[in-house]
Amino acid sequence: MSSTVHPPVLQRLRHLLVALLLMLPGAAGAQDAALNVEVIVSPSLARMKLDRDLLRAVFTMRVREWPDGSPIRVFVLPDDNPLSDQFYRERLGMYSYVLRRAWDRMVFTGTGFAPTVVRSEDEMMERVRATPGAIGFVRKRESSSQNRFAPPRWQTLRLMTSAAP
Amino acid sequence: MSKQGFDVRVAVALAAIFFSGAAGAIDYQVHGYAAQGFVLSQHNDFFGDSTDGSFNYYEAGINAAVQVQPNLSFAVQAAIRDAGISDDGSPRLDYAVADYRVLSDATVQAGFRAGKVKNAVGFYNETRDVVFTRPSILLPSVYNDNQNQRSLVFTSPGAQIYGGKVAGQHELTFTGTINAERDVRESDERLLVILPMPFDLRIGNSWNVQLMDSIDGGRWQFAYSYFTGQLRLSTPPEFALAGRLDVDAHVFSARYNAERVIVTAEYVLTGNDNRLTLGGAPYFHSRLAADSGYLQAEYRVSSKWTALARIDGTYRDRHDRSGREFAAANPGVDRGTQFAEDFTVGVSWRPDEHWGAWAEHHWINGTTALQSLENPPPVRHQRWSMLMLMVGYKF
Repeated sequence: MSSTVHPPVLQRLRHLLVALLLMLPGAAGAQDAALNVEVIVSPSLARMKLDRDLLRAVFTMRVREWPDGSPIRVFVLPDDNPLSDQFYRERLGMYSYVLRRAWDRMVFTGTGFAPTVVRSEDEMMERVRATPGAIGFVRKRESSSQNRFAPPRWQTLRLMTSAAP
Repeated sequence: MSKQGFDVRVAVALAAIFFSGAAGAIDYQVHGYAAQGFVLSQHNDFFGDSTDGSFNYYEAGINAAVQVQPNLSFAVQAAIRDAGISDDGSPRLDYAVADYRVLSDATVQAGFRAGKVKNAVGFYNETRDVVFTRPSILLPSVYNDNQNQRSLVFTSPGAQIYGGKVAGQHELTFTGTINAERDVRESDERLLVILPMPFDLRIGNSWNVQLMDSIDGGRWQFAYSYFTGQLRLSTPPEFALAGRLDVDAHVFSARYNAERVIVTAEYVLTGNDNRLTLGGAPYFHSRLAADSGYLQAEYRVSSKWTALARIDGTYRDRHDRSGREFAAANPGVDRGTQFAEDFTVGVSWRPDEHWGAWAEHHWINGTTALQSLENPPPVRHQRWSMLMLMVGYKF
């Protein structure tokens, strides 16, 4: 490509456009279609129904066992990872600092555990796959988003940025 | 001392469970924190000889928690803290608690705890010694950071029941604690009561409850806490002086958590009923209603930087906020000892999940938060200020 546009500029444009898309009511279809993070669970929990109440109870560490009685093990990315923020916002309707406050309170009063912090999405997938009763979250992948509608403009932008040197 | 004996036994029992349980699937976590503060004040001393700059302010702790089964866990924390005359840096068992969960599903949780438990009072009491959980280095006066109510309010042996229920957008939680009768540490006694003779203080009849409503994933939080306790004063038979100091406190808390802005307000109304007897006959009786409150705004500039501003007031007698009546009735006593109004601005920096740095400046009118052992009367300045800095690490 002989374009003089630098990747960071494209990156910024992409963020801007995505932000605009999110602001336009209906532009991204149903609200679910705008979701970009998904919950992953260990294979033993594949059939678990995860509604917002249960997700909130699990990620605020208020419950310790799954409805089937097996212990819950929660994995999260660092608080300052943008994906964390996005996940807590979209799926739990909470801010990451509110969650951190709840975890710190438990850890320093002896009333509960903090979730295990992993360094990357790869580590997240590996740990969740290998740990019975585990739950975590990752960026939505192409292969895993087949059952959800993705806005076409988003796809275009992804192609543009990935084509840049 | 029997209290320390109890502490040690609990710690040993928990340690035994912790280390014997290393086999297999038992979950455990170890966490800790440490922070060093610095205080530089003008006119009055706070947390050490701070008019010359005081490093006599630090806090550290380490804890372990073991989950034996999903419904049974044990946790213990040892801590040290130094804060001028008001804390002495000696190691203590901060909590040692067994937690049994009776109900645990997505919308209802309930259980009980026993051991040395943390008392849920206001938003910050339970984790008040961990700077990472405080909005500022110094807690607002609702929490009496320099007033030595450690044995009374902070943490105590006892039994606790707790519960939570989700109803629509509301998450209601309840904590109720009954504290065992206990002795007040000598280093605290001398700050709570000043008498020209030897004496002993015990705390009895103490319990507390907290009800909290957390709305819309914690966007709004409202809480009511009630605390009550009875300090019993005794002196050797030859002095024949005895006393009962009843304390109760109603704490109202509200907080709004937005993406960037956090607004917090708390108000405490404290009743003191003090009776002294001499040779069994009534000798002195006073009733006072004190109150404190603050309004605080935090602005999250980014995920790393937060700015804070707060107005805070505390009054020893809510019917005499200016202290003028008190000064008229007690010639030679400065009315400024009866209140403190504190305007604070601060900033905090959290470069990563482990480190934090805090800086704040207080402009204060009134001296009620000062310790007289650090500031021998009558050389107190009613208007004073201080700069506080703190650096901390947690894992």
